[in-house]
Amino acid sequence: MRVGIEVGGTFTDLVAVEGGTVLTAKVPSTPASPDLGAMHALDAAGLDPAEIEELVHGSTVATNAVLERKGAAVCLFVTRGTRDLLLLQRHDKHAIYDLRYRKPEPVVARRDVFEIDERMAADGKVLKAPDRAATARLVRQALAEGGYEAAALCFLHAYANPDHERAVAAIIQEAAPALPVTCSSDVTREFREYERASTAALAAYVQPVMAGYVSRFSAALAKRGFAGRFSIMQSNGGRMPAEAMELNAISALFSGPAAGAVGAVRSVAGAGFRDLITLDMGGTSTDVALIADGRPELASMTRIDGLPVKTPVIDIVTVGAGGGSIAWVDDGGLLRVGPHSAGAAPGPACYGRGGDRPTVTDAHLVRGTLRADAFLGGRMAVDPEAARRALEPLAVRFALPLEELADSVVRLAEVSIVRAIQRVSTERGRDPRDYVLVPYGGAGPLHAARVAEDLAIGTVVVPPNAGVLSASGLLLSDHVHYRTRTRRLAVSEASMGAIRETVEALQAEARDYLAALGIEAEADFDRVLEMRYLGQAFEVPVSLSGMDLAHLRAEELARLFGEAHRRVFEFAKPHGDPVEVVSFRVGVRAPPPPMPAMGRAPANGRAPPRSARLTERGEALEAGLLARAELGPDAMTGPLLIDDGSATIYAPPGWTAAADGHGNAILTKGTGP
Amino acid sequence: MKVSPVDQAVITQALTAAADEMGIKLIRSAHSPVVREAQDCSAAILDRKGRVVAQADLIPIQLGSVTHTFRACLEHHPLETLREGDFLVNNDPYSGGQHLPDIFLFSPIFLDGALVGVTATVVHHIDLGGGAPGLNPDAGDVHEEGITFPPSRWSVERDWNGGPFERLVRANVRMPEATIGDINAQFAANAVGGERLKSLCRKFGRDTVFAAMDEMLDYSERRIRAAIAAAPDGSYRGEAWLDDDGRGEDPVPVRALLTIEGDSIAVDFEGTAPQVATNMNSPFASTVSSAIACIKAVLTDPDIPFNEGAERAISVTAPYGCLVNPRPPAPVRARLLPSYRVVNAVMNALAGAVPDRVIAPGFDTTTVSCISHKHDRGYNIYLEIFGGGYGAGPGNDGCDAVDSMLSNCSNIPIEAMESDYPFFRVEDYSLRAASGGGGRQRGGMGFQRIYRILDDGVTFATYGDRFRFAAGGLFGGGPGAKAETLVERGGQRIPLRSKQQFPLSRGDRLIVRTGGGGGYGPAAERNAELAERDRLDGFESNPE
Repeated sequence: MRVGIEVGGTFTDLVAVEGGTVLTAKVPSTPASPDLGAMHALDAAGLDPAEIEELVHGSTVATNAVLERKGAAVCLFVTRGTRDLLLLQRHDKHAIYDLRYRKPEPVVARRDVFEIDERMAADGKVLKAPDRAATARLVRQALAEGGYEAAALCFLHAYANPDHERAVAAIIQEAAPALPVTCSSDVTREFREYERASTAALAAYVQPVMAGYVSRFSAALAKRGFAGRFSIMQSNGGRMPAEAMELNAISALFSGPAAGAVGAVRSVAGAGFRDLITLDMGGTSTDVALIADGRPELASMTRIDGLPVKTPVIDIVTVGAGGGSIAWVDDGGLLRVGPHSAGAAPGPACYGRGGDRPTVTDAHLVRGTLRADAFLGGRMAVDPEAARRALEPLAVRFALPLEELADSVVRLAEVSIVRAIQRVSTERGRDPRDYVLVPYGGAGPLHAARVAEDLAIGTVVVPPNAGVLSASGLLLSDHVHYRTRTRRLAVSEASMGAIRETVEALQAEARDYLAALGIEAEADFDRVLEMRYLGQAFEVPVSLSGMDLAHLRAEELARLFGEAHRRVFEFAKPHGDPVEVVSFRVGVRAPPPPMPAMGRAPANGRAPPRSARLTERGEALEAGLLARAELGPDAMTGPLLIDDGSATIYAPPGWTAAADGHGNAILTKGTGP
Repeated sequence: MKVSPVDQAVITQALTAAADEMGIKLIRSAHSPVVREAQDCSAAILDRKGRVVAQADLIPIQLGSVTHTFRACLEHHPLETLREGDFLVNNDPYSGGQHLPDIFLFSPIFLDGALVGVTATVVHHIDLGGGAPGLNPDAGDVHEEGITFPPSRWSVERDWNGGPFERLVRANVRMPEATIGDINAQFAANAVGGERLKSLCRKFGRDTVFAAMDEMLDYSERRIRAAIAAAPDGSYRGEAWLDDDGRGEDPVPVRALLTIEGDSIAVDFEGTAPQVATNMNSPFASTVSSAIACIKAVLTDPDIPFNEGAERAISVTAPYGCLVNPRPPAPVRARLLPSYRVVNAVMNALAGAVPDRVIAPGFDTTTVSCISHKHDRGYNIYLEIFGGGYGAGPGNDGCDAVDSMLSNCSNIPIEAMESDYPFFRVEDYSLRAASGGGGRQRGGMGFQRIYRILDDGVTFATYGDRFRFAAGGLFGGGPGAKAETLVERGGQRIPLRSKQQFPLSRGDRLIVRTGGGGGYGPAAERNAELAERDRLDGFESNPE
């Protein structure tokens, strides 16, 4: 049996696969000790850990450690003269008109930062080697007083030559053999010292928390007879054996959204969809990602709580638009939705838990796209009158009928989602019309068709188990390992040898790393070169995956770069303008066994069995009402509300809905008006 | 025409997003570190009447000037004469511009033959000629500061890409590859904004987009006016001083009289010092932008879109020929120094009206560090813009080591500097631990940068301020530390002036220290936990 368990902020989801059957469970999360919720999920599904051969796990443990500032006590060693690196940051403000601006708070305080007298030059030449005896003295003294649980190092130009970081790390390890030590050059081999130091500090900060969690969870599982393979999801959409993750916790920082994206990609791949935009809408926010040719794109930098993290992360954009987002009127008289959210507590007004601000969920109840008698599959009672009361003042303010005001609130939430999708598509030179929209999470399928329409996307694919898709994603994910290196090389026939050698060396390192963990990798590698025109400072990723490197000519490489540059910036320089490679990223993967096919017995779909009234886009409509299992291969015509357990799928007028042979519900925009 | 709330929200968000995207693309495709790392650049979208409707959140002082530079272009080339493929250029401080390095580039956007708007970008270019590389602190007039491109219209096809305008630029600057590369980035960003604007017009119809743009201006105006109406009516005075004019010893005052009447504000700078002979004059457009930026920051929430509507409720006047409204050809390269004293004087006046909304004076000074190297093949010019400590607020310590209010430049990473500028190395970049003004809330700290010079033929040029007059505290808070610049040469320490040029040689250590912000409230009332935290981290307040 193979089991995926995803611990989210509100719910813990489980998907289990045994032979040809798939089993799911959803239980409340237990934020104080997330492993407890995971155990509850196993119990709820009636699973015996002794029968599990493979367990894949995703959690918000690392993320929460940063957001709640509950990570380890970390000391940081830096080059002499750079002690205040984490406080100086980049000298800019993220809110330019805010007089009371505060910088993001680093996870290591100044008193815990120590300078080492060493120096590298930009080309990696040693200017001053650290003195062994003096360094050992300094390290012993620092460690004796601090009570540290982890150490990090970030030396200037360590991306070019990591020797000094390694030498000092060895001295630290000698002084404190049990102390985990993180070198910036091991976390990322790229220039810009603040971003690299921030990443190394965060890595050290979450390390002991994650290691403690994983070993506690492993022990609890072992006690209940579990003897199978245990792996953990990473932010890059691949997983790693749990024992390796104990040493690389930073890579789990954004594992939840990554698992969802992988689940979406793999769930719809069977039906032949490879170019997609994912839409995960929950209670407080919406995550979107663009996936071309079945491969999620990786961003090389992201932020957590304002602090930069330079590890490859599935390129996901998050906006503060969810079911709990609050509708309000600003002092200029504009109707707005979010970013404030009623969250899970007090929650939308209709939850009756003390919330009285109108939310997107309340608006759905009022306009009829969510129904009180079928909320979360009928498992939760809601109060439509409370929703109406909460929205009433806004309706009066804008002199609109209540249903139309509710409709406006939902549409404004959709505007924010559309904007998020533009950020991952049009802003990066991708045309959304070339993609299908794949919604999941509680509220995704409800908004997907209208969001698609605004972007001129004609097809929405709702995957099976849309409510627990992240847990499916865990089981569908590959083992993945990436290696990166900064090495500036001008592109010419003469340098092609060095370019090939660098890629091959990274490939060998990545493959050997997995091999050492007992995992045999595929022959295919993800190969990305970060390139730019000579003189530029920001790079454009150029993928060389699947290409014959041995015969790649400099001219061809420059041409590929020109195309990538044009896609992002809408221009390319004349051919022959000098181009350079700045850094290399190589990934290796080992795929999981396939999930059983989710084919369903086709129902006789023609006319929807029931109906419901709703107001949408300013019109009162009579919509067909059915359960997802009642949807068959024959297309039904919208408006339709389709109950899918914890989610509702909405097909507006002008759209049709049908089930394909792979368990997906397909919504298609008609050619009419 | 009335636009529905939903369409209005979509169009507003889309235009703001398009301006942001222009800014991102500009930074990412630029060549000079001053743009790509320090981000000394801005982007905006103007409507078909040439009014700024949306801006990227980049450099406030540049953004405030987009309107004025474009209006000057229109005086020579009215809207109805513009054609597809035209571009307009202006860097003239006496035609709405800032200082010469800030080139404003405008691209009129056409759909089906009709003008639907204009996209605009501003970049601080590393060198536009003049008497010294990057910065000429000794300039006696604007002509010695570099080349002026008066408000003028050109054609991309005819005049750029090897055409006469490109060759004119190339012939007059010291680092032509970088400058042409950065202007190309401006063209690219303008094109991106243009595409977004056109697709919006195609989707909603031109008239809906135009009506939504009108509403964006009205909306900002309404919100600013609501905020002003909430402040008490009356006349309030404020003042601030520059150390000197860079040559003499006399302080240079800026005086503001601020009158709040209902939902509008008038600011007048009568009583301000006459214009000076050195480069510290604030062109009138800079003065207006600075006063408005300060009023907006003090009175309103940061989320009010800053566009031309925001300016309607605020009028600014200053005597012609004074420091903040100079007569040509006065040099203006260091205009941010007087512009910051405009901010301080206006804030000082607002402290009388809304004491709980203002903050203490910060370092509020742009310190330019420009190090150039002449070698066999030409020039290599490094330029970075430094802030310092923010003034403390009623509920917060001042932000440490951050760019000041009118600007928002990032630092250049040491690792980027040392790879681009092999003629120096950074030996120290640290907070000045005792530079924030003491107080119930502590002023922000300044910082120190030490460069080791690795070759001969290197020149340092700078301007700065607060070498003599520190940022004072507010309501009992203490002053921040003053700034200083030194050169260590063979065991000797040579103090430099706040505005000067100085030749450096191999082995020299150049030390630049920026000042701290003032504290807020008496130090005796400081929270014990915060005080202990500062002590553990080795921070003390400025002893003065």
